[in-house]
Amino acid sequence: MSTALRDLIANPNAAELELIARYGMLPEDARRERAFEAFAKGGLPHRRVEGWHWSDFKASLPVIETPAQPGTAQDPLPADDAVLFSFTPTGFTWAESLPEGIRVLAKPEAQAFGASEDMPLGALAAALAGGKTKPGTLMIEVTGQDLPRLHFRFSGAGEANFARVQIIVRPGAKLAVSESYLGGAGFTASLMEFSLQAGAECSRTVYQRTGKAEVLAATAAVQLDEGADYRQTTLAFGGKLTRLETRLTHQETGAKATLNAAYLCADGHHADITTEVRHGAPSCVTRQLTKGAVLDGGRGVYQGKFFVPRNVGQKTDADMQHNALLLEEGAEVFAKPELEIYADNVECAHGNTSGALDANQMFYMRQRGIAEEEARALLTEAFIAEALEEAGELEDVLRVQARAWLAR
Amino acid sequence: MLKIENLTATVGEAEEAKQIINGLTLEVPAGEVHAIMGPNGAGKSTLSYVLTGRSGYEVTGGSVTLNGEDILSMEPEERAAKGMFLSFQYPVEIPGVPVMTFVRTAMNSQRKLRGEDEISAPDFIKKSREIAKQLKLDAEMLKRPVNVGFSGGEKKRLEIYQMMMLEPNFLILDETDSGLDIDALKTVAEGVNAMRSPERGMLVITHYQRLLDYIKPDKVHVLSAGRIIKTGGADLAHRLEAEGYEGVVGEAV
Amino acid sequence: MDCCGGTDEHEDDCTEVTVKEGIDAKTVEAAKALESENYSAGFSTAIDMEFSPKGLSEDTIRFISAKKEEPEWLLDWRLAAYRRWLTMEEPTWAKVRYEPIDYQAYYYYAAPKSGAKYESIDDVPKEILETYEKLGIPLREAEVLLGVEGAAETAAAAREAPRVAVDAVFDSVSVATTFRKELEKAGVIFMSISEAVREHPELVKKYLGTVVPQSDNFFATLNSAVFSDGTFVYVPKGVRCPMELSTYFRMNAENTGQFERTLIVCDEGAYVSYLEGCTAPMRDENQLHAAVVELVALDDAEIKYSTVQNWWPGDEDGKGGIYNFVTKRGDCRGARSKISWTQVETGSAVTWKYPSCILRGDDSVGEFYSIAVTNGRQQADTGTKMIHLGKRTKSRIISKGISAGKSDNTYRGLVSINKRAEKARNFTQCDSLLIGGRCGAHTVPYVENRRADAQLEHEATTTKLSEDQLFYARQRGLGEEQAVALLVNGFVREVLQELPMEFAVEAQKLLEVSLEGSVG
Ligand SMILES: Nc1ncnc2c1ncn2[C@@H]1O[C@H](COP(=O)(O)OP(=O)(O)OP(=O)(O)O)[C@@H](O)[C@H]1O
Ligand SMILES: [Mg+2]
Repeated sequence: MSTALRDLIANPNAAELELIARYGMLPEDARRERAFEAFAKGGLPHRRVEGWHWSDFKASLPVIETPAQPGTAQDPLPADDAVLFSFTPTGFTWAESLPEGIRVLAKPEAQAFGASEDMPLGALAAALAGGKTKPGTLMIEVTGQDLPRLHFRFSGAGEANFARVQIIVRPGAKLAVSESYLGGAGFTASLMEFSLQAGAECSRTVYQRTGKAEVLAATAAVQLDEGADYRQTTLAFGGKLTRLETRLTHQETGAKATLNAAYLCADGHHADITTEVRHGAPSCVTRQLTKGAVLDGGRGVYQGKFFVPRNVGQKTDADMQHNALLLEEGAEVFAKPELEIYADNVECAHGNTSGALDANQMFYMRQRGIAEEEARALLTEAFIAEALEEAGELEDVLRVQARAWLAR
Repeated sequence: MLKIENLTATVGEAEEAKQIINGLTLEVPAGEVHAIMGPNGAGKSTLSYVLTGRSGYEVTGGSVTLNGEDILSMEPEERAAKGMFLSFQYPVEIPGVPVMTFVRTAMNSQRKLRGEDEISAPDFIKKSREIAKQLKLDAEMLKRPVNVGFSGGEKKRLEIYQMMMLEPNFLILDETDSGLDIDALKTVAEGVNAMRSPERGMLVITHYQRLLDYIKPDKVHVLSAGRIIKTGGADLAHRLEAEGYEGVVGEAV
Repeated sequence: MDCCGGTDEHEDDCTEVTVKEGIDAKTVEAAKALESENYSAGFSTAIDMEFSPKGLSEDTIRFISAKKEEPEWLLDWRLAAYRRWLTMEEPTWAKVRYEPIDYQAYYYYAAPKSGAKYESIDDVPKEILETYEKLGIPLREAEVLLGVEGAAETAAAAREAPRVAVDAVFDSVSVATTFRKELEKAGVIFMSISEAVREHPELVKKYLGTVVPQSDNFFATLNSAVFSDGTFVYVPKGVRCPMELSTYFRMNAENTGQFERTLIVCDEGAYVSYLEGCTAPMRDENQLHAAVVELVALDDAEIKYSTVQNWWPGDEDGKGGIYNFVTKRGDCRGARSKISWTQVETGSAVTWKYPSCILRGDDSVGEFYSIAVTNGRQQADTGTKMIHLGKRTKSRIISKGISAGKSDNTYRGLVSINKRAEKARNFTQCDSLLIGGRCGAHTVPYVENRRADAQLEHEATTTKLSEDQLFYARQRGLGEEQAVALLVNGFVREVLQELPMEFAVEAQKLLEVSLEGSVG
C-alpha cells in the first residue's frame, strides 16, 4: 500500500514520506484510504498548483519536526464558560459533562469526506486524524439554542497535530464556535466541517497565532441549508506558513454567509486566507470582508472565489472586499479575488486594494496634533477592526490582540 | 503672532512640481482676525497646507514664524501642539475612529508634546458636552467615526467643535462657511467669535462677505496667483462683493 | 502569470432553450438564426495557392525559411525554437476547452501562387484585392487619399486628414503595404517582417525575441519556429509617425494555421499608433492562429496598439472557428515610455490572449483597454499582465466582458509590483455583463504587491443587463435589440473612446452585429 502511495507523489520530500509512514501505521479504513489518496495524488501542494502559487507547502515543509522555538502564545479566547476541546500532538481531551442540546460522538473511524480532491490538506487531516488517543472523527450534534460556546484549542509542542471535527447544527439550533490555533507542533492540519440545517445559526471565530517555525493548514467545509445563517471571523498572525481555508456551499435557498477575516503579519510570518463560496441555490447572500496589515518580512495572501453555477445560482447577492495595508517596505501582499459566474440574474462584486495608509487621513490626524506613530496605529487599528465587528462577544478580545500587535 | 515673509512654495511630486505660492508676505498680530479672499485656484488652500505642514507642499523660499519661532521645520503635529489649527475646506473621513476617541487622542498628544498632563475622562466629557450643546451638535454624532457619512454642513460644524475642544491659539478657517445653512452659519460664527481673544490670531479664508458680517475682520487681503495683491479694512470685502475682483483690483486678477 | 492546473467546474449544458416571459417567439427565432448570417466576413476567396508540406517538422521549417530566402541565423533561430517546442506541453490553465489540436493536420505555409511578394499593387491578384475591398480595407492609396494628394507630412495635418497605411497579410504572406514612400520620407520603416529581415537585418536581429523570448510559452515557441509573415515597424528618434499604421490579417486557405509575427520598435521620443484587424472565412474545421506581437518603446516613446479581432467564431453549434492563441507583449524599456493596448475582441472560437506591458523604464505607463464579446459557443480567456519594475510606473486596466448565448468569457490579469518599483500605481476595473442565463462570466485577477508605497486598486462587478434600463429605453420607443445595443454601448463606452475614430465606428458596428439576437 505505502509503496503505491509513495509512487503517487512525485519526488516526495522527507515530510511527505513521514506522512505516508504515519498513514501506514493507522488501522485500515476504506474512507481513510480514500482521503489519503486525495491528498497523495498531488502530495503537499506547491507553487505549480493553481491556488497554492503563493503558499507553497512543499517548500515550507521539507521535514516534519518539533520546532526548536515553538510559539508561546497564550490562548486569548476565554474558555471558562465554554465547552473546551483540546487537541495536542499527543492526545485529545474534552469536557465530560455536556449541556443538553450538545451531543458528542468520538468515532475511531473516519467519515466520508466529499470534494476531498479540492482540499488536499483537509483530506490529509481527515486521513491522519485519530489513533489511540484521538478520535478519527469527532462528531458534534447541536439541537439547542442557548448553549455555551464550543471552543477548540490546537496547541502543544510536538511534530504534528491532526484533527477532524464534524458539527451538525439541527434545524433552528444556534451555536457559537471558536478555535485557537496556537502552534507548538511543526505541522498542524485540521478539518472542521459545519452543516447548518434549515434556519440554523452558527458563528465561528478563529484565532491563529503561532511561532515562526510552524506550518498550519486549517480547512473548514461549510454547508448551509435553507435560511441558515453563518458568520465567521478570523484573526490570523501567520507562521512559517499558515493557511486558513474555508469552503462554503449555499445548498438551499435563502442562506446567508458572512466571512470576515483580518491578518497581521511581520518578520517571516506568512498568513494565507483562502475562501471559496459556491452559490448552489437561489437567493443566497454572501458578504466577505478581509483586511490585512503587513510589516517588513511579512507576507499576506488572500484568495477569494465566488462560484455561481448555472440555473441554480439565480438571485445571488455576493460581495467580496479585500483591503491590505503594507505598513513598511519589505511587506508583501498577494491577492486573487475571483468570480466565476454562470447565472445571469446575479449581483456580484469584488474590490481589492493594497497600499499605504491614506495620506489625507494621516495629515488630518497630525494636523490635530496626533504624533505620526500614534496616528498610524489608530488608523490601522480602525482599518483592521472593521473586519472583526461580526465576532460578537469575542470582538473585543480580538481587537485587543490586534491592538497589542500594532503597538509592538 | 504669525509672520509670513516672501514665501514661495510648490505643489506636487518632483517633476510635476508647480509653484503656487509666489512671494507671499503677510502678518497677523495676536488678537487680530484677517480675512483672505481670492478667486478659485489662487492658492488659498495651498497656503493653509503650507502653514500646517502637509507633505507634497514644498517651501522653496521665505519664512514663516509663529510667535517668533520658525515653524516650517516642524512636523504637522508639532505645529498643532504650538497651537496651529486648520479647519479644512474638505474635512477628511476616518472610518472606524469615533469622533470622541479622535479628539481625546489629539488633545492628549498635544498636551504630551507640551509637557502637560492628560485631561481626565470626566473633564473631557464635560467639556465635550458643553461645546456640542453650544454648536447644536447631536451627542450621537460624536460617537460616529470622524466625518463618515456626515453632511457637508455637519462636517464644518465638527471642525469648529474640534477647534473649540483643542483651544488652539492660531486658527485658519478654510471656507468654513461654505455648505452651512443660514442658522448654522450663525452658530459657527458665534463659536469662532467666542474664541477671539488678545492672544489668538485668525486667518479666515472665504468667498463670501456674509461670514465677515458675523466674524468682523481687522483686515481683508486679496490673494491672487499666490501673492497678496491688495489689503484693506473690512469694507474691502463689501467692495469685492459689489464690484468683483476685476472691479476692485483691475486687471491684476 | 503562472496559472496552472486550474480546476474547471464547468456545468453541463443540457437545458433546452426556454422562452422567457414577455419575449416573443420571433426574437427567439432570430436568436437561433443569428451567428453565421451575421458574419459578413465569412466568404472565402478562390485563388491558386502554394502550400508547404502538411504538418510540422524540421523540413517544414526549412521550407518556410527557404521560401522567404532567409539568412542562416534566422533559420537556426527557428530550428532552436522548434526543438524547444517539442519538449513543451500545451497550457491547460485557461478557462477554455477545445478538442486536442493535431499539429500535424495544418499547413504552416500558404501563399497565393503568383509569388510571395508583389512589386507593386498592380501585381496583386485581382481576387485578393477584391477580398480586401469586400472587407472594406483600402489597399489602393488613392482611395484612401480621397483626393488629398501630397497631403502634408506633419502629424498635425495627418490628424486633419486621417489616413491609414495598410499592410495586408493574406494567409502566410504580406501582399501589399501602402504609403511606403511617404513613410520612408519621415524615416518610418513599415513593411512585412520578411522584407525587414532582408532589408534591415540589424534592426530585426537586435529586437526580435527580446520581448517575447523564444521559450516564452507553448504557442509563442511554436510561432518562433514557423512564423510566416507579419509587420515590422520602426519609428526613429523623435518622429511622430505621420499616419496610423495598420495590418489586416486574412486567413483564407483551408487547414492553414496563421503564425504572424509583429515587431514594433519606437525609438526615443517617437510615437506610433498601430491598428490591427483580423478576419477569416467560415469553415467547418478549426483554424489555428498563434501570433506573437512584440513592442519596444525606448525613452519617451509611445506606442498605441489597437486591435479589432473578428476571426470567424464558428457556427451556433460551435463547429469551426479560429483558435486564437496569441502572445502580445510590450516592453516599456525606456524612461517615461508608454504602451497602450486597446482591443475589441468579438471573433474566434477560442481566444487565449493577454496583451501585456513590462514597465521597466522609470515613470513608464502601461494601459489595457478591452472589450471582449462572446456569443454562441465562443470561449474567451483574455486579460493582461502589468509588470511594474521601474520607479513610479503606472498602469491602468479597463476590461469590459460581455457574454451571451452559451459562451464563456474570462478576464484573467496580473498586476505585479516588483520590490524596486517605488510608488507604483495601478487601477483596474473589470466589469462583466451577462446576457441570458446560459453563458458564463469570470474574473481572475492576480495582484502581487511588494511595495508599501504602491497604490493598487481593483474593482469588479458582474451583473446582467438591467431590466429597468431596458424597459425604460423600450418605453421611450426603442426596439429591444436597439435598446440592448444602446445599453451595451454605454457599458463599453470607456474603452471605445480609446480607439482611433475610424476604428471606433467599425468596432461599434461589430458589437451590434455580434450581439444581435442575444436577448431572449
Ligand atoms: N497636488 C496638486 N498638484 C497640482 N496642482 C495642485 C495641487 N494642489 C493644488 N494645485 C493647484 O494649485 C492651485 C491653487 O489651488 P488651491 O486649492 O490652493 O486654490 P484655492 O485658492 O484654495 O481655490 P478655491 O477657492 O477653489 O478653494 C490650483 O490651480 C490647483 O489646481
Ligand atoms: Mg481652497
